[in-house]
Amino acid sequence: MRFSPTYLLFKDLVTGLLITLRTFLRKPVTVRYPHEKVQVIPSFRGRHAMVVDTETGKSRCVACLKCSVVCPSRCIKIEYEVDEKTGERRLKEYILEALRCVYCGYCEEVCPVGAIVLTEWFEYSGRCREDLIFNLEKLVQNWKEHVAKWDKEVYENKYWVLKGVPLKLKPASRRIGLSVKIKGVKVHG
Amino acid sequence: MPENRLSEPEDPFFSVLELQMGPQHPSTHGVLKLHLKLEGERIVDCDPVVGFLHRGLEKFAENFTYPQVLPLTDRLDYISAMNNNTGYCLVIERLFGIEPPPRGKYLRTMVCELARIASHLLWLATHALDIGAMTVFLYCFREREQILNFFEEICGARLTVSYPRIGGVRMDIEEATLEKVYNFLPEMERRVDEYEGLLSENRIWLERTVGVGVITAEEALAYGLTGPSLRGSGMPYYVRKHFPYDAYPEVEFEVPVGKNGDTYDRYKCRLQEMRQSIRIIRQCLEKLPEGEVVSELTPDLDMMPGGRMLKAEAFNEVAFISFLQEAKETFPKGELYSAVEGAKGELGFYLVSDGSGRPYRLHIRAPSFIHVSALPKLAKNHLIADLVAIIGTLDIVMGECDR
Repeated sequence: MRFSPTYLLFKDLVTGLLITLRTFLRKPVTVRYPHEKVQVIPSFRGRHAMVVDTETGKSRCVACLKCSVVCPSRCIKIEYEVDEKTGERRLKEYILEALRCVYCGYCEEVCPVGAIVLTEWFEYSGRCREDLIFNLEKLVQNWKEHVAKWDKEVYENKYWVLKGVPLKLKPASRRIGLSVKIKGVKVHG
Repeated sequence: MPENRLSEPEDPFFSVLELQMGPQHPSTHGVLKLHLKLEGERIVDCDPVVGFLHRGLEKFAENFTYPQVLPLTDRLDYISAMNNNTGYCLVIERLFGIEPPPRGKYLRTMVCELARIASHLLWLATHALDIGAMTVFLYCFREREQILNFFEEICGARLTVSYPRIGGVRMDIEEATLEKVYNFLPEMERRVDEYEGLLSENRIWLERTVGVGVITAEEALAYGLTGPSLRGSGMPYYVRKHFPYDAYPEVEFEVPVGKNGDTYDRYKCRLQEMRQSIRIIRQCLEKLPEGEVVSELTPDLDMMPGGRMLKAEAFNEVAFISFLQEAKETFPKGELYSAVEGAKGELGFYLVSDGSGRPYRLHIRAPSFIHVSALPKLAKNHLIADLVAIIGTLDIVMGECDR
């Protein structure tokens, strides 16, 4: 090895340096993050939000408790009351601890009405733990913030559609799609 | 430690020095601690200490339903999470007789190979950085970033993907993404050539890797090494070939093997494996069948956990026992070991089912844990600087080792 022509003629070093030189002349691939941002891919699993329907202005949640049952990190707690006349459930409080969440996306996949969603919002933090324990009010606020940034007219998550999954596995309400029209929503802050 | 050290000063060059390397050392790839005994700079004895990242995943899994365990397996070998997920899904499919549809199989094979490339890229990057080649580190992360972007497009997460599902995958991949992956393959092939150009003939790389950490095929088998660490010694054992799963029997690829069983051969092996992975992905994309991606027999995400451990405090003892006996068996009983070829080696899952919706016992044969046990053998009579190369060449991920 020591006396091979590769070794004596510095062929190995020249090859390596030529590769680095070629890369040196290419465009840089680094994104200087706070100043420029990468485009977030649709259906990225980011900050949680509670979807608000444009027509009614109310949250979509029907308090079926499926998300809190399926959650592997047990981070969702739901309080509801039953209407005595009609017998339908009404959501009282929805508490989601973002600090416990593992962002597996099971909750948005299992939700029959597309109420809870992991939005494409990836940069968020809090000053204390309470800031990252989302209650219903905060979740709706998250949705409004997300909608304000969303430049298309319709929002639809990949996990609501589940392309390629047999119809039998989807709940009836999800077979037609659950896209939200976000044009015309009043946004506060 | 000699007891008379204080009273009788010895020549420091000939006395045995004990040194704790890690768990905060950057080249131990996580929280591995090594108890070293040194003579000068030569390693006399090396005693690995593991368990700093122990989270009790196996016990944890017993409290979760089958679909809920899947996100846990992401956290085993977190740089090739697709392989872990597939391994876990596979053992359940084989035990319960769920057959994924062909498109699901092909997609799973494809993402597994992408994850393998990503894992090998991270291995090459850190291994080269440990030995002193900074450029390779930056180049490898450039390509890894692209693969992670594909994962983000496929399922919305970059590392903890949870993309495969029992009986297939969670959802179909968009045509545009598949096209992007296909166009990425020739570029990736060129990049592998680039890494080889930078390292394979480089005199410093050769000095640092050739003849370091030699292990023969018999010894490697005796230690239970698998994956590239075993194939570097010339043993062509490959779970993908010998116990094929998913779409692997339908694609063509070769088994790269080394000859001498040293660090350099293992490096060559892994680079060849990256080329074979590219080949597999290309075949998968070309042969990709149409249809559904997940079997109809797959357990629902929000399935009932079954009889076991359900509200035990609500029953008195007799009622609870009769409840257990009467509990409906949702799944067949039985036990099974099944393995996949993870990026590090043979990743095995041993599952015991008691008929309920939760695993009665889940044991994970983690290749990293077994590779750590070969460290004392490989490191003996080498210098400390070579130890860093040896830890790198075994490709240890502590998340999988300690689980």
